[in-house]
Amino acid sequence: MPGIDECLLEVMRLPGARGAAVVDWTSGLALGTVGESPNGDHEATAAEAAELARLAAEHRAFAPADGSDWTEGSAGDKAPPVEDVMVTNRDGYHVLRFVRTSFDSSVFLYLWLDRGEGNLALARLRLSDLADRLILG
Amino acid sequence: MTSAPAPTGVSPMLSRLAAEQATGALIREHGTLYLEDGHIVHAESPATPGIDVLLTAGGAVQAEGWWEAVDQAGARQRVGRYLVERGRLTDGALELCHLGALFDAAYFTLAPTSGPTRFRYGVSHWFGTVRPVPVAAVERETLRRRELLQRIWPEPDTDTASLTLGPDPDRPVPARRRRVLDLVDGARTASQIATALGRPAFHTLVDLRRLAAGGLVAAVPPPPAATTPVPEWVAHSSVEDPDVALLRRLRAALEAL
Repeated sequence: MPGIDECLLEVMRLPGARGAAVVDWTSGLALGTVGESPNGDHEATAAEAAELARLAAEHRAFAPADGSDWTEGSAGDKAPPVEDVMVTNRDGYHVLRFVRTSFDSSVFLYLWLDRGEGNLALARLRLSDLADRLILG
Repeated sequence: MTSAPAPTGVSPMLSRLAAEQATGALIREHGTLYLEDGHIVHAESPATPGIDVLLTAGGAVQAEGWWEAVDQAGARQRVGRYLVERGRLTDGALELCHLGALFDAAYFTLAPTSGPTRFRYGVSHWFGTVRPVPVAAVERETLRRRELLQRIWPEPDTDTASLTLGPDPDRPVPARRRRVLDLVDGARTASQIATALGRPAFHTLVDLRRLAAGGLVAAVPPPPAATTPVPEWVAHSSVEDPDVALLRRLRAALEAL
C-alpha cells in the first residue's frame, strides 16, 4: 500500500463514499482528506470527529472487558482499546477506524457514506483492512 | 488541506516567503522551518522530539536501520525515501510520522517571540521531502492548536516548567495520559517527557493541560528571585494557605460561564 492519498482513494471506491480523511485525534489535525465533508470544511470535520474518537478511546466503558486498555503488540506497537466508532443519521453513515501504528500516534481513518448507497458492514471491513495496509504495507 | 485564506499574525515573513515560492530555512528563536517552492517540507524545534526519536523510540525503525539510512542517504537528502525503499517503513507510516513531527515542530517554531528571524535561501534538510504542506495550512493549524490548549485549561505554565504531581495523582486516568503522568517527577518538563515517550510534544502538552485541569499535575514554581523576609504580621497571619490550583480552576470555571 502506498501513502495516505492512495489509501484515501481506495476508501473512496466503497459504494456510497462521499468523503474521507486521515485524522489525528489528540490534536484534531486532518493529515489527508478526499472528497466532500459533511459541514463543507474538512479541517472542521476532522476536529469534530477527533473529539468523538478521543472520547471513545479514553473512556473506560468502551474498552474490552478484560481490563486491557492499550495493548502492546509484538512490534511494540500500541493497539487502541476501540476498533471502530460508527454514527448513523437519516441520510448518512460516519465510520471511524483507529489505525494501529508502529510508532506512538493517535490516528484514525474517517469515512462519510451516503445512507442510501452505503453498506456499513462492507465499509467497516474495508476500512479495517486499509488501516492495516497503510502501516504494514 | 483546503485553500482558506492564511490567517494574519503568525509570521508575516513566512507568508511572504510562501508567496514568492521560496526555498530555504526560516530560522526563528524556537525552531526552524524548511521550505521548498513555498511549501513547508520539514520542521525542527528543540522543544520537540525529532523524527529520529519518534521512529526509533517505539521500535518502528531499529537504531541501526536509522543510522544506516542516515549514512547511505543523508548526503543525498533522501533518508525518508531510503527507509521506505529498504522496507523499513511503508509510505503511509513515513507520511503519518513525518507530518506529525512537522506540525509539532512548526507549532513551537511559530510561537510568539521577540527574538530574531532570518531566512537562509537554498538550504534544505537532509531527511528529504516527504509530503509538502501549504504554509497557510500550517499557520491555521498552529492557531487552532493554541486555541485548543486554551480551551482545555487556560494556564500555560505546564507547557514549559518542571512538573510535579498534584494532590491526588492516583485518580483514574486514561492509559495514554497515565504514561505522561508516570514520568512527572518534579524535574522533567513537557518536552523531556515527550522525548522519553517518543511522542509529539504538542500531544504531551494536551495531556498535561488535561491533567492540570484535573489537579493531577502542577508546574514547579520558579525559585523566588529575592529573599525578602516576610513581615512578622504575615508570618503569623491566621489566614489559611490558599490553594492556588483550586483558585485557578475556580477562575477558569467562572470565566467559562
